[in-house]
Amino acid sequence: MDFLGFERQDGRVGIRNWVGVISVQDNVNPVTRSIVRSVNGTIPITTLFVRGQYAQDLKIAYDTLGGLGSNPNIAAALVVGLEQTSAEDVASRIRKTGKPVEIVLIQDAGGTIAATCEGTRKALRLVRSASAARRRMCPLSSLTVGVECGGSDTTSGIASNPAVGRAADRIVAEGGRVIISETSEFFGAEQVFAKRAVNEAVRRKFLDAVLGWEQLAMSYGVDIRGTNPVADNIRGGLTTIEEKSLGAMAKGGSTPLVDVLSYSEAPLKPGLHFMATPAPAVESMTGLAAAGCQMILFSTGVGNPSGAMVSPTIKVTGNRQTLNSGFADNIDFDVSDILEKGRGVPELGDELFAYAVEVAAGSLTASEILDQRETAISRFQPTI
Amino acid sequence: MSRSIVLDKTDNVATILDATRASCECVLQGARTGRIVALADLPFGHKVAVLSIRAGESVIKYGQSIGRATRDINIGDHVHIHNVESLRGRGDLGKQEK
Repeated sequence: MDFLGFERQDGRVGIRNWVGVISVQDNVNPVTRSIVRSVNGTIPITTLFVRGQYAQDLKIAYDTLGGLGSNPNIAAALVVGLEQTSAEDVASRIRKTGKPVEIVLIQDAGGTIAATCEGTRKALRLVRSASAARRRMCPLSSLTVGVECGGSDTTSGIASNPAVGRAADRIVAEGGRVIISETSEFFGAEQVFAKRAVNEAVRRKFLDAVLGWEQLAMSYGVDIRGTNPVADNIRGGLTTIEEKSLGAMAKGGSTPLVDVLSYSEAPLKPGLHFMATPAPAVESMTGLAAAGCQMILFSTGVGNPSGAMVSPTIKVTGNRQTLNSGFADNIDFDVSDILEKGRGVPELGDELFAYAVEVAAGSLTASEILDQRETAISRFQPTI
Repeated sequence: MSRSIVLDKTDNVATILDATRASCECVLQGARTGRIVALADLPFGHKVAVLSIRAGESVIKYGQSIGRATRDINIGDHVHIHNVESLRGRGDLGKQEK
């Protein structure tokens, strides 16, 4: 099956055609935002920290910023830095895609006013050039789709996650890639999910990621209850992390697990992947977007409004209470008929898949229209 | 009549689809049929016991253990954090043993 997408220089396909204005570190975010406010067609890819990060964390930060800029939804990138070396670390990663990359440096420009002026002019030119791109028919096999959940409750595991899982199966059947993440949301479900690994090496890698993460959590000597499941999950009826995990796993559908990825790592094979990420949605989705996901299917129960900045995020719920509240404004796809009318998961999942193809072709999601989008890159070490 | 759904035939809990007041009946659907009488107010999305569960036994949903009963649970009881505990990510347990 085909959809209308933007073919990029590296052969990948975008579902949007934005110019990304990318902060190299937190101290340039205000300039990034000023440029984006002045130039239609741009999106801000801001970040916290980075300056003073080192070793593994610095690599994660640069790989993630580089991955977000390399995402095919980004037609061209304007990298905003304080100084040359760190800006080049990010820009060089994006240039590998062949897309246009410009840099503006606040120290070299001579302060934030001059940098905003220079950046605005560069962004104008990038948008003018990007706007010449036209959508063409592209195969669905060019899609990489993240599956995520947030604001979960018991309806997530019974309705919205299985519907997302069905849509994920359809994407895999088309030859695309699907990535499920959120390591702690496999605690208690890992043995069931591990059976789907294509071979022993993938099975071991998956179990090591989940059990190693649990050991790390336990090393602090505390009970993770209250953090995961969190208070709103518990009000929604989820009692334990095991229950939440067994429901969360359904987002991965039913296809074999072909590989395990680290945070922001791009998948190389068609099929279902697991990415080791922290559970909170903004942080997890940032890793998925940096890995090249053009889109994220996001299941929610009691309600979570977050969208990824670079990856249009389809919010799906099966909770009629959420749909009957004002939160319906933040929801893109209603699967409540599964619980309310006994409609089948495959039927609703197929409709969700068809809607996802429409979003790939340009239909806008609530988090894009309302700009409920954010970026957060994982960090695991202190800043020096 | 309020509804609740059982996901697997081995489950000992059902998920409430319509909030149910104490002493009201709730009809089971999904992997099990029949009716149970709620012994407590049961909010939408919360769980009700469809079998009696003794303290220390596993609470089963999706055909899998979702934790351990911390006290005896009767058919119709609300099943939640007041009578079930997680067995995963429990760094606090290791600390007590030391």
